[in-house]
Amino acid sequence: MNPVLSVSGYTLDYVTSGGTHRALDDVSLAIAPGEVLGLVGESGSGKSSLVWSIMRHLPRNARELQGAIHLGDTDLRRATPKALLGIRGRRIGMVFQDPSTSLNPTLTLGRQLTEVLVRHRGFSKAAAWQEGIELLRRVELHQPEVLMRRYPHEVSGGEKQRVVIATAFGCRPELILFDEPTTALDVITGARILDLFRRLRAETGVAALYISHDLGLVSRIADRVAVMRRGKLVEEAAASTIFRAPAHEDTRRLVDAVPRPERRLVFDEPSGPVLLGARDIAVQYGRKTLFRPAPPPATRNVSLDVREGEILGVVGESGSGKSSIARALTGLAEFRGGIRLGKRPIAGVAQMDAAYRRAVQIVFQHPDTSLNPRQRVGEILGRPLRMFGGDAREIPRLLEQVRLPASYAGRWPHQLSGGEKQRVAIARAFAAKPALVICDEITAALDVSVQASIIDLLLALRAEHGTAYLFITHDLNLIRQIAHRIAVMRRGELVDLLAVDALQGESVHPYTRELIAASPTPVG
Amino acid sequence: MSASWLLRRVLLIAYTILVVSLLVFGITQVLPADAAVTLLGENATPAALEAVRLKLGLGDPVWLQYLRWLSHVLTGDFGVSMRTGQPVGPEMFAALSRSLLLAVGAILVMLVLAVPLGMLAALRQGRLVDMFTSLVSYLGVSLPEFVTATLMLMLFADRLQWLPATGYVAPLEDFWDSVRHLVLPVLTASVILIAHVARMVRSETLDVLHSDYIRAARLKGLPEPVVLLRHALRNALLPVVTIVALDVGYLLGGIIVIEEIFALPGIGRQLVVAITARDLPSIQAGALIMAATYAVANSLADMAYAFLDRRIRYD
Repeated sequence: MNPVLSVSGYTLDYVTSGGTHRALDDVSLAIAPGEVLGLVGESGSGKSSLVWSIMRHLPRNARELQGAIHLGDTDLRRATPKALLGIRGRRIGMVFQDPSTSLNPTLTLGRQLTEVLVRHRGFSKAAAWQEGIELLRRVELHQPEVLMRRYPHEVSGGEKQRVVIATAFGCRPELILFDEPTTALDVITGARILDLFRRLRAETGVAALYISHDLGLVSRIADRVAVMRRGKLVEEAAASTIFRAPAHEDTRRLVDAVPRPERRLVFDEPSGPVLLGARDIAVQYGRKTLFRPAPPPATRNVSLDVREGEILGVVGESGSGKSSIARALTGLAEFRGGIRLGKRPIAGVAQMDAAYRRAVQIVFQHPDTSLNPRQRVGEILGRPLRMFGGDAREIPRLLEQVRLPASYAGRWPHQLSGGEKQRVAIARAFAAKPALVICDEITAALDVSVQASIIDLLLALRAEHGTAYLFITHDLNLIRQIAHRIAVMRRGELVDLLAVDALQGESVHPYTRELIAASPTPVG
Repeated sequence: MSASWLLRRVLLIAYTILVVSLLVFGITQVLPADAAVTLLGENATPAALEAVRLKLGLGDPVWLQYLRWLSHVLTGDFGVSMRTGQPVGPEMFAALSRSLLLAVGAILVMLVLAVPLGMLAALRQGRLVDMFTSLVSYLGVSLPEFVTATLMLMLFADRLQWLPATGYVAPLEDFWDSVRHLVLPVLTASVILIAHVARMVRSETLDVLHSDYIRAARLKGLPEPVVLLRHALRNALLPVVTIVALDVGYLLGGIIVIEEIFALPGIGRQLVVAITARDLPSIQAGALIMAATYAVANSLADMAYAFLDRRIRYD
């Protein structure tokens, strides 16, 4: 049977001021009708370049050196711009990573869904609207008639992604490209999107290229998996075997990086005194005004303790109040309730003095925005060092602790990779020699393999300094590897706070059970 | 945009105008002008001056004078001009209508020229159109109005003799003659608007064209004109609304130079005349009307913004 998509010997360069950079190197792959090929690799490995090559949407500095890309019998490299209009959206559908940016904020969902039906399937506007409602029903959206008239900001992320998926399936394409479609969604929503993908795929028999940096996820939904590294395909195997028997060393690294709850990384059991106790923490943003009632509180009466040297995981979907707790404990948000640091009671933000702020440090999710782009790494680390009684000579030691070369002190943040930036942010927190570090989704923006190395680093720092962590994440598998206890939050409330072993037990909250179900462990 | 939002907006406008009225009244109190002297002239006898002061209530406490003035204003009575003896209100509103004609004309010319120019510049980034737009923008921002106005006069009124140099004709009197008189002031005023807006549209269009949803629209197989007009234009126009609202202030007060050069009796010009003549009721009325127009224009801009961008919710 002829493949739906075949790429053979394809090589692509980008010409930049710094020279030529090879993005894809002699890449060959084929997708049979009805087959799902998973494409896995770290960021920068060339996954996206391959997508843009297939979609013929390459930037101007791209140079195609050799190779061919065929969609059925059509040679895509020779397709004219006019022919491409009949291929994009019609014969190749696409689902993008982040539905909140890939939908136009000023057009209704219905308009954005039906414009492809009008364009490619020759529907009248009214007929397209009816078909649109039908499509939304097929992606399991309730009240599709109402949703059609909504604007993107009026619906949730999961609903948006379903609309994008409905659009991609709408013209019955031969092939659909999925570019990390669940990365921007929280765990439960992402799991439901994957269920939908499986069902639609079974119904339509469409072929798909599914791109992700998460080998665990891809191995669950693809028929075959191709692993990409530095522009080359290093391994291609059936999804069922790649996890059990990775042939290539790079694949093995990716396999090892996937968090698996049964593989614990922390073995001690802290029994020291309570380091930080929080009682009935309530955070409220925005006040009641003359015309507007107060918004609902971000957290209500959350109580938790962190022991010395303990790792407390906090999980929950976006908007559950995880970050608000972090902001309250670090004094970034006003709160009601009481905090105790050791034996010292802290009644509010005003009582958080230098000693408290030194003891409780935070690392934020996005190092891009938490590191000042106009300061060199040395300045970024020097400030907290001086403030907490150290001096600048400790900078090389600090960098070494987070396994960065001392020469990085002279670099600007933009010269570092995402993982390196996060190491600098961790070093900044440790400059204060803290007793507790709050990690607010610090690996969410990173590749799985980089995440694994950051986790290694945190555990090494803990072994050396006895630091406690409050580790906020939406990745249950990850936190089950390292946390001693896990707090589950939902809609501003703490629904569960239990030892990691008790998570599988009978007495857990139904929501916790749902979270566990939505975070399946890798096959094999 | 709910009814309660509209109501709140109207209340806010009323509040703004109230504050402005306090400021205006306060400033006219501090001005070194004695209404009685202005009315009767320097040579009036002290007894006559005293009589006028009593009649106008100038001896009353300031707050009483303010309340009396405000209550009259609320019934539409802005008082009588000390210079002409005519009621101030109708005179100022007529001047405002002439200024608005100029302002609306300038905004229309700007929209027709600046928006396509800015979009073209963004689409042909670094090419001839782009450089031309940059040039026009820099010239427009850096040339003072009296230079642009003089150049226009020299070219169109003097050399080519196409258009009258100065003066104003009401549209209802003779429509075509009115338009002919308005062309040069409108063009002059629009130059600076075009400069502001073309640059804004260019940079905004560039941002929008690099956004994910434009890429998504292209990858859905939509032809380029549809991508640009349906998906890009509206988003690129959003900040223009804000700029235009801010420029309304300039168009009402700042184009006094243009009104002066083209002898167009707009509200800015009337206000300057009133200030030179120490004509207190005219100053108060002019300033208050200007502030009210500005407040209303800004509210209209907010509404337009909310209409264009549904993420903005006024509830």
